[in-house]
Amino acid sequence: MRRCNNRAALRERRLAEIAGVALRSDELARIRDRLGREPSAVELHAFDAQWSEHCSYKSSRHLLKKLPTSGTAVVLGPAEDSGILHLGEWKGERYGIVIAHESHNHPSQVVPFEGAATGIGGIVRDVLCMGAELIAVADPLRFGRIEDPHSHQRYVAQGVVDGISAYGNAIGVPNIAGDLYFDERFDDNCLVNVVAMGIVKESDVIHSYAPPGADGWDIVLVGKATDPSGFGGASFSSLTLDAQDEDSNKGAVQVPDPFLKSVIMRASYRVFRFLREQGLTVGFKDLGAGGIMGCSAEIVSAGGYGARIDLDAVNVAIEGMRPEVIAVGETQERLLWVVPPTVTPELLRIYNDEYTLPEIAYNARATRIGSVTAEKRYVLTHGGQSVMDVDIEFLTGSIRDELPFGELPARDVTSERPLVTGVQLDELIERVLAHPDVCSRAPLYRRYDSVVRGCTVIPRGAAGAGVLAPVPGSPLGVALAVAGNPRYSHINVRLAAEHAVYEAVRKVVATGARAIGLTDCLNFGNPRKVDHYSELVAAIDGLARASEHFHTPFVSGNVSLYNESAGGRAIPGSAIVACVGVLNDLATVVTMPLKSAGSVLYLIGAPQGALGGSVLLDVLGRSDEHLPRIDYETIAAQHDLMYEATQARLFRSARAIGNGGLLTALCEAAFATMRKGRAVVGAQIDDAFQWTHGTVGDLEACFGESGGFVVEVAADDVESFEGLADEVSGVYEIGVTIDRPMLVVDDQAFDLHRLQEIWSAPLREVYP
Amino acid sequence: MSKRIAVLVFPGTNSEDETTRLLRDCGGDAHLVHWSRAQTLPSYDAYVLPGGFAYEDRIRAGAIAAHDAAMDHVIAAAQEGKLVLGICNGAQILLEAGLVPGTGEIRRPTAAFTKNAPAPHFVCAHVHVKLRVDPTRSAMTAALPRDAVIPAWTANGEGRLAASAEHLHELEAGSHVAFVYAHEDGSVDDSASPNQSALGVAGLVNREGNVLALMPHPERDAWTFNHPDRRRGDAMLATSGGAVFFRSFVEALQRT
Repeated sequence: MRRCNNRAALRERRLAEIAGVALRSDELARIRDRLGREPSAVELHAFDAQWSEHCSYKSSRHLLKKLPTSGTAVVLGPAEDSGILHLGEWKGERYGIVIAHESHNHPSQVVPFEGAATGIGGIVRDVLCMGAELIAVADPLRFGRIEDPHSHQRYVAQGVVDGISAYGNAIGVPNIAGDLYFDERFDDNCLVNVVAMGIVKESDVIHSYAPPGADGWDIVLVGKATDPSGFGGASFSSLTLDAQDEDSNKGAVQVPDPFLKSVIMRASYRVFRFLREQGLTVGFKDLGAGGIMGCSAEIVSAGGYGARIDLDAVNVAIEGMRPEVIAVGETQERLLWVVPPTVTPELLRIYNDEYTLPEIAYNARATRIGSVTAEKRYVLTHGGQSVMDVDIEFLTGSIRDELPFGELPARDVTSERPLVTGVQLDELIERVLAHPDVCSRAPLYRRYDSVVRGCTVIPRGAAGAGVLAPVPGSPLGVALAVAGNPRYSHINVRLAAEHAVYEAVRKVVATGARAIGLTDCLNFGNPRKVDHYSELVAAIDGLARASEHFHTPFVSGNVSLYNESAGGRAIPGSAIVACVGVLNDLATVVTMPLKSAGSVLYLIGAPQGALGGSVLLDVLGRSDEHLPRIDYETIAAQHDLMYEATQARLFRSARAIGNGGLLTALCEAAFATMRKGRAVVGAQIDDAFQWTHGTVGDLEACFGESGGFVVEVAADDVESFEGLADEVSGVYEIGVTIDRPMLVVDDQAFDLHRLQEIWSAPLREVYP
Repeated sequence: MSKRIAVLVFPGTNSEDETTRLLRDCGGDAHLVHWSRAQTLPSYDAYVLPGGFAYEDRIRAGAIAAHDAAMDHVIAAAQEGKLVLGICNGAQILLEAGLVPGTGEIRRPTAAFTKNAPAPHFVCAHVHVKLRVDPTRSAMTAALPRDAVIPAWTANGEGRLAASAEHLHELEAGSHVAFVYAHEDGSVDDSASPNQSALGVAGLVNREGNVLALMPHPERDAWTFNHPDRRRGDAMLATSGGAVFFRSFVEALQRT
């Protein structure tokens, strides 16, 4: 018996190896049992894609249920390709912000330009298919060490930025937010996350499912001709990267075509108008992982239907492709409609004639490839033969892995926190400003179009959050920020996840917006390793806790696992968060640059002594396991103060404090005013001992990263502001703005021009 | 009857919506015309070629679009004296079509907006452009004050004017240099230009003054919300900013 079982298992494993699929032998056995026969090659690849972590979230879905996903601002939670948050009303219409968050980590490590570009391409389709117009993208990036100009890490860091720039600029969607960290633990696995945002009238949302009454409707494929690129992409991103397989991995990465995408987006907007005029409800979905099979199976099964697809009807780039390649290959720039047959001719006319898709790229077009069936089977035909015929609920339903995890081991926490002593402020300030995680990102984001569409209020780099006018003509505003500090997650992944939420919310609040919702991308190692999986579990706990406290539900997200190299080295578990904020009146928006001399500067947010994960300790080559605490009650009062003071227009400028602490935030606010032809505004800060009353050391006060804001209040408004701040703890008057280009801290003065040069220089070499 | 403006869209154009919106907010009767509907172009009174990456900027930015059949209509209209404005990619197309500076043959460009320097990369940056000719040199600038300084965004990979030394001399002598890069206070030096453009050129005009090619985008800094730190009152359309340029264009059209 036992021998026999072993033999069967061996045979299944061989089958999987021969066909190049990543299904496990137990999964193969389930498929054979259910089908009552050997799966066909097409079926094998279909299950391989559909049951990959990438498509099925099999080891994370049950964990993600812990995240809060409902609230008054939620129009659509995490059920479809994107989530939707309520922006506000204008002229009797309710407007929603559509938001999605993805990773393209594995492809970007192998072929950075294409990997990053297709990351934008994919996320843009997720937002587009909700019936929305694209208004912004953002990109959180994590790279390895790039000091060596000939290293693969440098190649990745440059190629990713070029890919984002080439794709995002071409399609005309402004890049308004992002962040960037360098850490040797990303040497073998970079993180390339991407967030996309759209605007839609809530009455015009199109769903990613076949609507009621769709039996017999047409399934229409739109976009690029299907080619062999991206075959096996879903299972590729659910495996660890092995450098030896680099060549075969490259074939799994898709080829971007932003030019075609730009036309498809605009043609789709035209289709949206047509559907609105006709008052039609249809289904629309992005082709991502699992290609035609994955998308068509999900869109019909989500409506309770089956489908019959003729692979011979698919517009292909080359003849003679195997049916499994046509079915699950992940060629970019494709979407899929489910529409009544009466609508199909107009759909084809708009894409093929009015927007001339076949002239834009070889054999690109909209074409009918099959129909929706009441019977819940998923059937593919090729050459007149059935090549796949399975129960659709078995294909798309819940494959689930509840993997073992444990409590994370308590790390050795040093009982005596090492006090930072024996170093002087003047040594430190320059080294902090030149630190790779602090220095100017301008060389990078200058390559991104931050202002196309003409709706940008705060462009990339001008504050911690980007701000847009998403409904031109209305006073409504939307803010977007991202966060997730890998130095924190290395120390305590749960608290790091909480800090990611706090930081993203804080950046949004600094612009005068109210934070209303979140998205996340969970970038972790191998879930089959207990310690990696335990990190994922802990991070989700942390996100849930912070999300509840800030009343900011998660409306969409993504999980990227197996971020480890063949050697077993995993990344710092990284919960990366994006936060959406709204402004009811853009006239109240607050910007970062210092405005004029003679204002009073306040710190909102008590400095803490905890320096764990700080840039300061990194600069000093020291480490400490104490991360700043998050006192949610106090922070809520501080955020309320921020909102009230902005509504009363009491702030001339505001800046969220992050990497590099208070002095870095002040320097950046001062640098932002330093343009030729403008009056220079500097800052003068009192001896920290005076305002902290010695509760923390001077250096902790100047460079600690416990959060908070530095705000500028005009002398005339001081009384009003202090009245509002009276009951709020953690508000300190720390200094004034001055009319010299200097940063003065107690009795030491620093030349802002010199500091600006130090801060601006480091990334120029990497991004000339 | 109001004069109708065609905002011409090629495959890859991406700034058509904000350009149309600003023209309308400035009182213009602007309409999008897609490449597949180019046969309707002759019925319009003026033409605006917005920014983007027409035909993917293959060969050189604007080179393919300049040979598109739609441009036959624009070229004919320009030769009739109708107003033609190109912004960013539109400006590149006008140079490739030979309409600007217009000193040579049609579709035989004498100058080009080409790869930025010192690094040949896309640059997105806030800039100012300064009117370098008498406002009456072109109908489109006639409503601007002398030496007007207009805020705008540069956002391109190929915005550096390149031409032979003799031709550059010809451009200066013939008052073709309509706009140069400047600082906010109107001062002009090498550091004002984001891309080492020859002569600091941001915009060129043809001899007759009816065709203008402008590299930076005034339409991206035109509404009050685009520059929250320069807010004046609550009007959504800024009284300064890039809108002044578009107003001048619309007024010029209404005078014709």
